[in-house]
Amino acid sequence: MSDTAYPDAPRIDAHDKVRGALRYAADEARPGMSHAALATATVARGTVLRIDLAAARAVPGVRLVLTHEELAGLKQPGFLMGGGYGFQSIQPVTSSRIAYRGQPIALVAADSPEAAAEGARLVRAEYASEPHQVTLDAPEVDIVAQADSPLPKPMFADVTAGEADTAYAAAAIRITAEFRHPPQHQNPIEMLSTVAEWRDGHLTVHEGTQNAEAIRHGLARQLGIEPARITVRSPSAGGGFGQKNSLQAHTVLAAEAARRLERPVKLVVSRAQIFHDSSFRPASRHRIRLGADAAGRMQALIHETDSQTSRHDFFPTQYTELSARLYGIASFRGRERLVRTDVQTPGYMRAPYEHPAAFAVECCVDELAYRLGQDPVALRLANDTTTDPITGQPYSSRHLAECLRRGAARFGWDRRSMEPGSMRAGDGSLIGWGVAIGAYKAATAAAIAKLRLSADGAVTFSVGGHEMGQGIRTAISAVLVRRLGVEPGRITLEIGSTGTTPQHLTAGSWGTATTIPAAEEACDTLLRALEALPSRPSPAERLRAAGRPHLEVEVSRCAPGQPDAVMGRLTSGLPAAIGPAYPGYVSFSHVAHFVEVRVEPATRRIRVPRVVSVADCGRVISPRTAASQLRGGVVWGIGAALREVSEVDPRYGGFLNADLAEYVLPVHADIGTIDVEFVDEPDPQLNGAGVKGLGEVAMVGVAPAIANAVHHATGRRLRELPIRVENLL
Amino acid sequence: MIGATLVGSSLAPAESAAQDTNARDSASGGLEMRFTVNGEARRLTLDPRASLLDTLREGLALTGAKKGCDHGQCGACTVHLDDRRIASCLTLAVQANGRAVTTIEGIVPEDGSLHPMQQAFIDHDALQCGYCTPGQIMAAIACVREGHIGSADEIREYMSGNLCRCGAYAGILAAIQDAAPKMQAG
Repeated sequence: MSDTAYPDAPRIDAHDKVRGALRYAADEARPGMSHAALATATVARGTVLRIDLAAARAVPGVRLVLTHEELAGLKQPGFLMGGGYGFQSIQPVTSSRIAYRGQPIALVAADSPEAAAEGARLVRAEYASEPHQVTLDAPEVDIVAQADSPLPKPMFADVTAGEADTAYAAAAIRITAEFRHPPQHQNPIEMLSTVAEWRDGHLTVHEGTQNAEAIRHGLARQLGIEPARITVRSPSAGGGFGQKNSLQAHTVLAAEAARRLERPVKLVVSRAQIFHDSSFRPASRHRIRLGADAAGRMQALIHETDSQTSRHDFFPTQYTELSARLYGIASFRGRERLVRTDVQTPGYMRAPYEHPAAFAVECCVDELAYRLGQDPVALRLANDTTTDPITGQPYSSRHLAECLRRGAARFGWDRRSMEPGSMRAGDGSLIGWGVAIGAYKAATAAAIAKLRLSADGAVTFSVGGHEMGQGIRTAISAVLVRRLGVEPGRITLEIGSTGTTPQHLTAGSWGTATTIPAAEEACDTLLRALEALPSRPSPAERLRAAGRPHLEVEVSRCAPGQPDAVMGRLTSGLPAAIGPAYPGYVSFSHVAHFVEVRVEPATRRIRVPRVVSVADCGRVISPRTAASQLRGGVVWGIGAALREVSEVDPRYGGFLNADLAEYVLPVHADIGTIDVEFVDEPDPQLNGAGVKGLGEVAMVGVAPAIANAVHHATGRRLRELPIRVENLL
Repeated sequence: MIGATLVGSSLAPAESAAQDTNARDSASGGLEMRFTVNGEARRLTLDPRASLLDTLREGLALTGAKKGCDHGQCGACTVHLDDRRIASCLTLAVQANGRAVTTIEGIVPEDGSLHPMQQAFIDHDALQCGYCTPGQIMAAIACVREGHIGSADEIREYMSGNLCRCGAYAGILAAIQDAAPKMQAG
């Protein structure tokens, strides 16, 4: 069926969303529910010596105050990247140690949100402070080569091919540059929110998440109870972007407060606290050396990175998994280092490695084009490849050249004059046109799916997947509609909540490539089972003719190359994904972005009036939501290039601009037209549906396209994000 | 703009009749207030610190308005107070005493269909996760009523108090341009 394009269809949950009827975690309420708030550390590193709770306890309505003295018995969750479930290995409020500014030190529960907030504000602590450091400019002792770290190999070994240093030294043209990327925060508009309730020894947690199973299994570990006694409900999350990919630090605190109070507890973590109570995109530094021959054939690329981690965890990096694969460069050497800092453990934020890596490489490729006097699109096309330079395996599909050609045509690239500063608008603004490409691994996770058809025609489908706005419910529904001929209104999707099928982490752009093949296989299995029943025009009629009230099938699906043992990880709530390297081939999604910037002559303010983006994500299952996702990725790229930075002051630790006024996100007035298109060619090898991922590749390459456009407008090469007015004065 | 609206609005209740009811409840330490929510008269005893947003969500189970920052910075809590858009998280509930509040739950026509702006948001896929959407729609309706729809740039400027982290701005612009003439016709 993958040979037929899918039709335009509305987002399946849009009707509920526009009425405010869709329920997010914090919309839950229960009779007698308490409200909780957190108090947080005001030093960057040290030990709590004493906590004064008298004033907090005296607030009318306050029922419970929990500190490390009460919660020392809670177990640690383990780190998501170390066999555990938490965004970091340590659980705040279980010891007197303070690892970072903003670390929770107490929970206050009260009859109202106002009383809880007042109580939390009145918690006073005395600390013994210790020296701290929070930037990449760290002493040598805090810099660790990832290859020498305990992180598992070969997954986190340095990526190499050929003899890059030799080839670089011999290259006719050599480009070298260093790029800096600041820390950034995901900031989904839904705040971290949990409603926890116990009933007859069973804990139910309502929390918007990308990983309900990690919350369930992680809480079971922390509380010392069986996972079967915990249900996590997250039918829809108000954005995720990587922040909600694991067990958060606040969740067990809400669960424990509810257990002690014997009443439901709602904990909504404040926006300022979220900047310290969850993961973020780490600061990173990228040194690039790019060598090419005189004709523009890229021969060698060396990519060395330093990336921020915490003192208590190694948050691994894979910047070079992407940079090695953007082009057919024969010789590559990557080296990734981690820098210990006194912060909460950083983590995944949309295109976590790929966006900073593409920024560094694609700015250098643009520089190469100018050194050669070649058109930047033509140079990229000339260095395309069909073979993965690292493994030597073919790509399962790679339509990057098509993305570039279609994008150039839509944008009107042939009207561009090469010379920087050569294009001006009627109002005197400098016009810059820039291009860059992006790629993102096409990963896939193992899945178990259940499909049930009732004689009345209703369809219920469950698979591991979380809806956070990307449109996974709409995409799955499109498959069920096509395969079973069912009306969208007769479909119930049980995803995001534990209890039916394992709710594997939805991240890494593997949601579609995981759930859509599972949905297709479940439909095929159901249709085969129906063949034994009397022939009728529709599946439901066959059931009725056979006198069967319903028919249910279950399918288990490993991704290509995964051993059956991966099912044990899936059912334990651990990540069970693979890619981009599969047996016999390598899979990536690709994109090309074309950007126009205008730089105002006096203020040097940078505007982005239009962007054209063409993506290859395999077969597009849900055209309408996919277009929105691609546009959203472009907005993220504009934010990353021109706005977003989590400000750090080495004297104080923590993040200074911890709110949505000071952490500047793109607003409506920042965004012009975003014209998007899909190649929409099914990937013939990765899965029968032909789908790859989209959510993250959408963002990769936008920032360098903007930086390259700024160079085209002004002649300035800017290598640190975000690019600001003062960089152009 | 939302902030300016709030600064400009009076702390005192609009009507003296309502002011009579604005008396401290000695038993609970609360304030008694009356206001109209989605056309329905409501009487509540409130913690004077309670925001209008928390009062709507926790007190009246009207959870359409969302909390995204609690500081008037994101717009997810946007509702109408006497037909003007406000950030309900930055508005003390007692400021609504004697006044009329309209939330996303209150804009649906009696026949159960959708407001033209709601339908336009569906038609143009002007949303992704949906969390900011009720605030966007309330702001968009106000934007049309204010007449700030003269150009795409004017709409973008007057909708910039409502953040959409998913980045659905292009769809939101198209939805407002689509719904505006339908609202004015209706």
